[in-house]
Amino acid sequence: MYVSKTGLAVIAAAYVAVPLLLGSNNYVMSLIVAAMIIGGIALAWALLGNLGGMVSFGHSAFFGVGAYVSALLTMKAGMPIFAAMLLGGVGAVVASLVMLPVLRLKGPYFALAILAYAHIFKIIATEWSSVTGGSAGLASVPRFPELMGFDLSGKTGSYLIILTVLLAFVAAYRAIRASHYGIALRAMHDSEDATRVVGVNSTLLKALMLFVSAFMTGVVGAFNVHYINFLEPDYAFSGLWVTLPIVAAIFGGYRTILGPLVGAVTVYLVDQLIFKSLIPSGHQLVLGALLVAMIIFSPGGLMPLLRKDSRRKHAAA
Amino acid sequence: MLRLEDLSVRFGGLTAVNTVSLSVGSHEVVGLVGPNGAGKTTLFNAVSGLVKPSSGRILFDSVDMLRTPLHRRARMGIGRTFQVPQPMHELTVRENLIVAQRFGTGAVDARKIDEVLDFTNLTDKAERHAATELALTELKALEVAKALATNPKLLMLDEVLAGLETNGKRRFMGMLKELHEKFAVGILIIEHDIETISNLCHRVAVLNFGELIADGTPDEVFRDPEVMKSYTGASDA
Repeated sequence: MYVSKTGLAVIAAAYVAVPLLLGSNNYVMSLIVAAMIIGGIALAWALLGNLGGMVSFGHSAFFGVGAYVSALLTMKAGMPIFAAMLLGGVGAVVASLVMLPVLRLKGPYFALAILAYAHIFKIIATEWSSVTGGSAGLASVPRFPELMGFDLSGKTGSYLIILTVLLAFVAAYRAIRASHYGIALRAMHDSEDATRVVGVNSTLLKALMLFVSAFMTGVVGAFNVHYINFLEPDYAFSGLWVTLPIVAAIFGGYRTILGPLVGAVTVYLVDQLIFKSLIPSGHQLVLGALLVAMIIFSPGGLMPLLRKDSRRKHAAA
Repeated sequence: MLRLEDLSVRFGGLTAVNTVSLSVGSHEVVGLVGPNGAGKTTLFNAVSGLVKPSSGRILFDSVDMLRTPLHRRARMGIGRTFQVPQPMHELTVRENLIVAQRFGTGAVDARKIDEVLDFTNLTDKAERHAATELALTELKALEVAKALATNPKLLMLDEVLAGLETNGKRRFMGMLKELHEKFAVGILIIEHDIETISNLCHRVAVLNFGELIADGTPDEVFRDPEVMKSYTGASDA
């Protein structure tokens, strides 16, 4: 897979420079990890929106199911964490199966239906208390292990894990987008009939994108539970796990692969480090205003804006 | 190859296609004519699967199309164009054909795509953005090219010549004739122009208010006073 020099430099900086420069600052590292968790969901959400043409308000379900599956597998079955995280993703895919009937719906109807479905899982997690611990939740979920003497459960270790997860997501997204499926999905966007009459099974392709998106979100949810070590239904299925990523994805540009990640890091860090210190309560207001401004002035989000800028610089040089 | 048996399509109280029985043999070129609103495009939509017939049967190579999902019909050999060109947005001309070929045949063969591009005079435009950078003639050619890329046995052409200027029309006609030979397809073509139909088709079927009112050679059909009445009546309106 082609990776540009800038891309390589960013990856190297993310793996080496960030831990070296900021690793000792637990507060900043925890903000970065939180931003990357949002970014992971944002990327998965945007993949469904960009390739599948679907707007989902139900991703908190995948996040929560991934978290519960991974937590329970490690706690009750003693499964190794990384295997359990992958199965957390699989669990989210299974959860997405019940959403298949709503794939036939379009636009706002799909969005509403998936929102309703998402609620079901929260109820299950609350009521099925013999397994999930009910509304009291699960305490002391296993932490990330040591790897060759390096403690992965710390802020820096967790950062490296989520970074690796996100890079894998980016690579997968790129591969899907470049494949024939990806081209057909792009085609379906504005010309579904034209695409179907040449033999594209549009429902199947959308379902596949829902599975991929659910899997990614489930893995992020699983990462999060081992990172924070506890879980309760209100937290795991909180609407924030979908609204913040949507803001991040739209801010960064949901039609691009990196936009949601850049958006999440920008939005979250700017909000927490700058606005929060300026306006301790109600700082989210500024974010809302910024998002509205972004949608008005650059509907494609931050990424097209950055690119336009660099193109202009190139032209001037 | 294609056989419609008492096919009806109703939308609420409106009967768009009314108990039509019609067949198209392999390698046959059949014209489908009739005034606007006669149900021609609805008939195409029923065969390609975009609308569901209310009653009757559609058989393609003796397979019941009503039990065949839309996306599998292309694989079986049903190709069509849209009256208002529907290029796949966001894609280049070549990508349009890649999608059509990959999903319509199950395999990708770059040489075949080049051949289709060449045949439809789109080679120069292959890397152009299909939805925004093509002229009408090219969009119409792309409609045909997309259908050809799925390797059809039956090609349903919905007014591919409409809106073209005389020269473009003549060139397109030449292409359609050659296409019939070269790609060995049967053609069902919707067209208003009697001369075009007479020139191109072995057989003509006439629809009026959803009903089949004539089916025969162009000579026979265009001599039928009832046909001509429905025909001229509509073009005057």
